[in-house]
This record gives sequence, C-alpha cells and structure tokens, in this order.
Amino acid sequence: MQNVEILLIDEKPKKRFCIKRLAGKGKPYGFIGPLSLLLFTFYVIPIFLSIYFSFTDYNIIKKPGFIGLSNYRDLLLDETFKASIKNTFIFTLGVVPAQTIFSLFMASWLVSRGKSRLTEFVKGAMFIPVISSMVLVSIVWRILLNGEGSPLNMILNILNITQPNWLGDSSIVLFVLMGITVWKNTGYFMILYIAGLMEIPKNYTEAARVDGAGRWRVFYHITLPLLKPTTIMVVFLGMVWSLQTFDLIYTLTGGGPGNASMTLVLHIYNNAFKNFNAGYAMTIANILLFFSAMAAIVQKSFLKKEKSEVY
Amino acid sequence: MKKQLGRLILILISSFMIIPFLYMFMTSLRVTYTAYNFKFALDDLTLKNYREIFYNTSFIIYFLNSLFISLSGVVLNVVFSSMAGYAFAKLEFKGREKIFFFMLLTLIIPSQVTLLPLYVIMRHLGWLNTYMALILPLPTAVGVFIMRQSILKIPRDLMDSARIDGCSEFRIFMEIVLPLIRPAIIALSIFTFVGAWNEFLWPLIATTSNSMRTLTVGMASMNAQYTVNYGLVMAGATMTFLPSFIFYILLQRQFEEGVALSGLKG
Repeated sequence: MQNVEILLIDEKPKKRFCIKRLAGKGKPYGFIGPLSLLLFTFYVIPIFLSIYFSFTDYNIIKKPGFIGLSNYRDLLLDETFKASIKNTFIFTLGVVPAQTIFSLFMASWLVSRGKSRLTEFVKGAMFIPVISSMVLVSIVWRILLNGEGSPLNMILNILNITQPNWLGDSSIVLFVLMGITVWKNTGYFMILYIAGLMEIPKNYTEAARVDGAGRWRVFYHITLPLLKPTTIMVVFLGMVWSLQTFDLIYTLTGGGPGNASMTLVLHIYNNAFKNFNAGYAMTIANILLFFSAMAAIVQKSFLKKEKSEVY
Repeated sequence: MKKQLGRLILILISSFMIIPFLYMFMTSLRVTYTAYNFKFALDDLTLKNYREIFYNTSFIIYFLNSLFISLSGVVLNVVFSSMAGYAFAKLEFKGREKIFFFMLLTLIIPSQVTLLPLYVIMRHLGWLNTYMALILPLPTAVGVFIMRQSILKIPRDLMDSARIDGCSEFRIFMEIVLPLIRPAIIALSIFTFVGAWNEFLWPLIATTSNSMRTLTVGMASMNAQYTVNYGLVMAGATMTFLPSFIFYILLQRQFEEGVALSGLKG
C-alpha cells in the first residue's frame, strides 16, 4: 500500500501546499511539528532550566551564579517550606478522598435514577462551580464567609451556633479551603464517574441481581471493581490538582494567618516573584515536580496491573 | 415517600452548588456597600453596577483581552492538536509511539514548575506583556490525546481510497478527517476556551501593563481595590462567569463528553 501511495504521488505532482512542501518526505513530522515545537519550548526546556536554576543564586535580574546544593540545604532550615509541605499534604489527604467518594456517590445515584429532568438539572448544577474560575470562586466565597452579617454566618446565627472566623482562625482555615475545593471539583469527577458507569454492560449487574445479590453487594462486588480505572484517574488527577493549589489560596488567604494555609506553589510564587529568590523558588518547584512524578508513576503501575487483571 | 426524600436531598445538594452564584448575581444588581444584606427581595434592583463597569475602560480592555486570548488559544490548539492527532493515529513514521508518549508525559509537569523558566524564556524573547506570551503556551498534550482518540475511529479505507484518487495528505486531513471529528473539535474548543478564560497565575506573571491584563487578573485586583462596593465586584464577577456559562449551557453534552474523554486517558 505504501509503495503504491508514493508512486502515485511521484507520478503526478499535485499543486503544492506550503505545509506539504515544508514537510517534504517527512510529511508526518510536518503534522506533529508545530505542536511538538510549542510543547518542547514551553514544557521541556523549562524543566531543564528549572533544574539548572535550582543550583544557582539566580534572582531574575542578575546572571545566575552556581552555588551547588546550597539551595537544597536551605530547604531543611526553612520553616515556611516545612509548613507548606505539611499543609499541602494535609490538603491532599483531605480533599482527594472526600471528592472521590462524594463524586462517586453522586454519579451512581444519578445513574441509578435514570435520565430525568431532575437528574439533568443536578448534573448541570454540580458542573457550575467547575466551569467558573477559581478567582471568581474565591471572591464569592470570601464575601459569603467573611463578616458577621454574611449570609452563612446569619444562618448560623439563627441556628444559635457561634460563627467561627472562617478565614482568620489558623486551626480551621485549611479545612475551609479544602471544603471549597471539594465543592468546586466534585462535579468534574462526577462526570468522569458517570462516563465510567455508562461503560459497564447492563447485563453484568442484571445477572447479579437475578442471582439474588442486593443493591449494595452488586455495587461493591461488581460496579466498584469495574470502575477501578476511573477511580485511579480521579485519584491521580485529584492528587495532582491538590498539589498545585494556588489561585484559591492566593486570593483568599495569601497563605495566612501566619503560615496556616501556606502551600508549596504559593511558597514558590512568593520566592520567585516577591522575594526575588528565583533559584530557591526553583528548588521548591523541583520538589513539587518530584511529588507529581511520583503520583504519575504510582498511577501508571496501578493501571498496568489493572489491565492484566481485567482485560 | 423514599423517592420524595431522595428528590429533596438532590435539590438541596444542587442549591448548595448554585446559591453562591445566585448570591453573586443578586448582589451585582444592588448598589451595596455592605454586601451583608442577604435578601431575595426584588424591590431595589438596578443595573447601575453593570453600567459602571462597562463605562470603565479597564474592564472592557480586560474583557476583550480575555476573549481574544481564549479564542486564539482555541484556534491554535484545535489546529495543531488535530494535525498531530492525525499523524499519530493514521500515519506511519519512525518514533511515533515514543514521541506520543513523551508528549503525554508533559501532562504531569505542574505548570507552576515551568512558570519561572517560562517567564525567563519569554523575557529573553521580549514577549512579556504581549499576546504571544499569553497565547502560545495554551496548547497542551490533552488536545492531541482527544484528537487521536477520535481520528483512530475513522476507517482507514476512507483515506486509502482518497490516496489512490491522488488526494494529498493535507487535503485528506482537511476534507475528510476534520469534518468527521467535529464533536471532538467542539469538545476541545470549549475545553480550551474555559481553561484559557479562567487561567490566572500565568497572566498575572506575564503581564505588568494594565492594557495587557486579563479578566481574572483584573478581577483579583478589583477585588482588592473596591472592597467597599461589593455590588460592583459582583457585577464584574458575573461578567467573568457568563461566557463560560453560556458555552456550557449551549454545548452541555459535548462539554461532558470532552471531560470524559480527556479524563479517561491512560
């Protein structure tokens, strides 16, 4: 087939498109070229730059000077870094299970109810926070949470519950931010779960029901195992997103009070663009990259195992 | 009875999702310097805030910047991703699997890690405070993945017969492949648009001049400046929310397909 194709093209040269000429013999490379170039320039080169900068005292203005591992040593003494690591982990460990369970619950509930006006409405409602920007979410939630007369606090007032200082109390601020994140992300993961649930052949669950398995047992022994690839995806994406949390915290608390809601990315941002300590910022960035890569490797290995078991 | 209770809980959950936005919208229709008179009475509604933000030239600049950047990002991403997706799905070439794998690998790189190097690169190119810096980094490997998946489904015979008829590879792509993957193109378009529209950190860093700022960056600073007039902030927030919302309402099905498709990557 391939030979025929080349012969035909050689025999009667058609009018030449710019892209075709550019590609010449390596036509396929012409097709992947533009995107490869962008991804290479804006993803691959930055990674190497980031690793390089972490060994320098670069501050954006002057030329970077090599200082060896000194940035990495500084990490060990940096209290804010420790706080940001701790907070990022608490954040991830809280948000990921909560949004996974909540989205799975909502998805299976909606699917089991079938398509109706109500379920479509719920699906749409769950998705509204997903499509809005984090900046907007934080602006709205700040007003909802702040001040004695804010709507939420008014409701609590009526119920005679003392209103906590949502964003100013260092013992709860992180949990408030986690709550908002779960609220924003659940709709997205719910759609993933709905897609996963739709792919499960109906006769599997029906057969189990005929054999006398209850609803819960069907869910636990059939639906849940078949949803494993989706769950791995939801957990992986949830982890990566949580590790990268920035917009919400930047606009809502700025990492405060104290360092109570400081996260890795905010610490990177502060060091790079506020303290002008770019080399050090990249050192923290490499730690974040390391965690993301770990998450990806774990996900890959789970998926591999998954394939050999199921397919 | 049980069914009714379920319905009630579902409505409660939905309200919990919607009320903040409803509140945003209601507040935007009031001239309020307190923000704390949470009432659904419809007596003192006014469009004054909207009039005010649309008389504000900064706001219009932000809005147009966001619109231009997002739409350009959509065009760039759709064109480049579908081209690459076609090559990965239907053309034979050396290193195909490897290059595809490396492209997908870029997806795990947190954009915050590349942020500062990206800033350095853009500064060297002299692109800070230009549309180039805001648009060119928008395409990601997600697009290739979505495109490749849907082009794989096109039967090979269709292209082979076109080839025998003497159709060039580029024309096959333009006239046979693109029309057949329209749903995926729409999904990727909405995806890119909403993503670019909501992007915050990169525009915050890459722009310093007011005339290049985007709506999210403008909103964040507006929020800091005008904390006294919540109605005005909320009118701005509503305008930030509206384009994505309209897109979503119009193309809900494709949007959800896009989420499902891009999320289920291996």
